[in-house]
Amino acid sequence: MKGMKFSFLCKKKPQPTGKRIAIVGAGPAGLTAAGYLVCKGHDVDIYDKMPEPGGLMLFVIPEFRIPVERIRFGAKELEEEFEVTYYPRTKVMEGEREDEGDEFYERKIRLSELKEKYDAVLIATGIWNVRKIGIPGDDLEGILSPLELLFWIKGHKLGYVPEEKVPDLAGKKVGIIGAGLTAVDVAFECNRLGADVEIFYRRTIREAPAGAYEINILRNRGVKWFELVTPKSVIGENGRVKAIELLRTRLGEPDATGRRRPIPIPGSEFQVPVDYLVFAIGMVSTPPVNGTYLATDRRGRLVVDERHMTSVEGIFAAGDVANGPTKVGRAIKDGLYTAVSIDKWLRGEL
Amino acid sequence: MERKYLYVDYLTCIGCETCQTVCDFIHNGNPYIRIYVTENKQYVPINCKHCDDAPCIKVCPTHAIYRDEDGAVRIAENKCIGCLACLQVCPYGVPFYSLKVKAITKCDMCAERREEGLEPACAEMCPAEAIQYGPLEMVLELVNERRAKNIPEHQRELTEEELRKSISSGYKVF
Ligand SMILES: Cc1cc2nc3c(=O)[nH]c(=O)nc-3n(C[C@H](O)[C@H](O)[C@H](O)COP(=O)(O)OP(=O)(O)OC[C@H]3O[C@@H](n4cnc5c(N)ncnc54)[C@H](O)[C@@H]3O)c2cc1C
Ligand code: SF4
Ligand code: SF4
Repeated sequence: MKGMKFSFLCKKKPQPTGKRIAIVGAGPAGLTAAGYLVCKGHDVDIYDKMPEPGGLMLFVIPEFRIPVERIRFGAKELEEEFEVTYYPRTKVMEGEREDEGDEFYERKIRLSELKEKYDAVLIATGIWNVRKIGIPGDDLEGILSPLELLFWIKGHKLGYVPEEKVPDLAGKKVGIIGAGLTAVDVAFECNRLGADVEIFYRRTIREAPAGAYEINILRNRGVKWFELVTPKSVIGENGRVKAIELLRTRLGEPDATGRRRPIPIPGSEFQVPVDYLVFAIGMVSTPPVNGTYLATDRRGRLVVDERHMTSVEGIFAAGDVANGPTKVGRAIKDGLYTAVSIDKWLRGEL
Repeated sequence: MERKYLYVDYLTCIGCETCQTVCDFIHNGNPYIRIYVTENKQYVPINCKHCDDAPCIKVCPTHAIYRDEDGAVRIAENKCIGCLACLQVCPYGVPFYSLKVKAITKCDMCAERREEGLEPACAEMCPAEAIQYGPLEMVLELVNERRAKNIPEHQRELTEEELRKSISSGYKVF
């Protein structure tokens, strides 16, 4: 197998320009930007809090979708042929915040330090926090975050997570709330590990972000699908999740996203027993700042101008951290066009 | 030179849109591989199949469409009179009229890149390795190897004949 060719625009590194760029985050946006920038002759260093580059493609998205080697070889090629230096297990942060996957980092560096040391900085740190739902009982034991669960499963396969961390799901009943790509991947993995999986969604399959195609594959594999329900509370016993209390919904007028808004029906409560519960209801951007230093919007995304530059001159941002949750292709597109901007800015053309 | 194939394995594709993105990037906003979204939200990239018995070559009155030495079906833009005959006969709706170049344009298997010894960008960047590029045997081996490893039980390996057919429509005109 060949690696993903992040440096697809050139065959070998051209004459060096002497400019040095730090990229924070080695997901598809960061790696593709690195590929473009090395093809322009710049030196690139990549910082990432995980033990190796690849981002969600490597650590979270199941292997049957994206082969691990495809990403590993691609990242290695950047290192070996284009002299990109990786600084793994290094969290970059201005201020404090805990994100998913933080158990893997060993060093911390301030963003302002990188700004001092490099000619330009690109932030591509993605969406590494899970949205909290805020209903009674949502902190009981047995409630798993989707990222955590997928890390444990894949991280164990990659040799970073001990076996005892991976929950024994065989024969257990797992409830999943949500219907996006994350919910679907969690369902696939739990189903593969022998769990009895049921997905609860507040709209119908027609509105599900993951789409009927993926959902039908899941259903053919025995995953159950419950439409038009919304969680009200989590019922526990001795501190552990025992059941989910749901309310039925009906669809009202379309909302800002164009999808019909789910309206809970009062008095329609019912319970479904579960052993584990996963809330896959959305992810939140995780810029390496907390509140100050760089401007963020209401949803925590880094604010960028048409040059893909943040509120600090010389610091750029690309991928999910600026756009919110998207897809690999969109992150790559953003990485490419941001890299074009960085190159122009370094040449004094922007 | 040996004929090369550009094969999109729809069983492996995850619909991430990377192929369209990189194609768009290198062709100044005109992607030659395009994602079509079905009603049930399956994302299907469609590009030129460089058909064995290409109807577009046959129908073009000015012989602007030809096959190059790697097997890519290409268009000599200076010979195109914009009659859209190729568009009518292509079973995949691939050729499109570019207002910029005032001629038909389409996937040429990254002709410029091939001249520099690079491969088609979509194949190089697809994270799922769903796009394979190379001689028929190589493509077949890679596709089947991947299937054997990852694809669920009910799907089986492809034969050479099936792969050929699914790359190239073998569509006949006249
Ligand atoms: C479960 C799941 C399934 C998905 N399935 C698909 C799919 O099938 N198809 C598809 O197209 N898309 C899918 N996506 C979406 C896709 O993975 C993302 O859109 C894409 O990976 C975003 O790329 P990125 O480079 O912006 O960020 P990421 O891939 O998230 O990379 C960010 C990198 O930054 C690092 N990082 C974060 N914070 C810091 C910090 N403070 N300091 C240092 N490093 C840091 C992380 O370790 C990570 O390596 C899925 C997403 C999820 C969660
Ligand atoms: S890049 Fe590959 S996986 Fe993504 S849409 Fe294109 S063919 Fe499918
Ligand atoms: S008929 Fe369509 S798919 Fe076949 S070679 Fe011509 S343009 Fe490509």
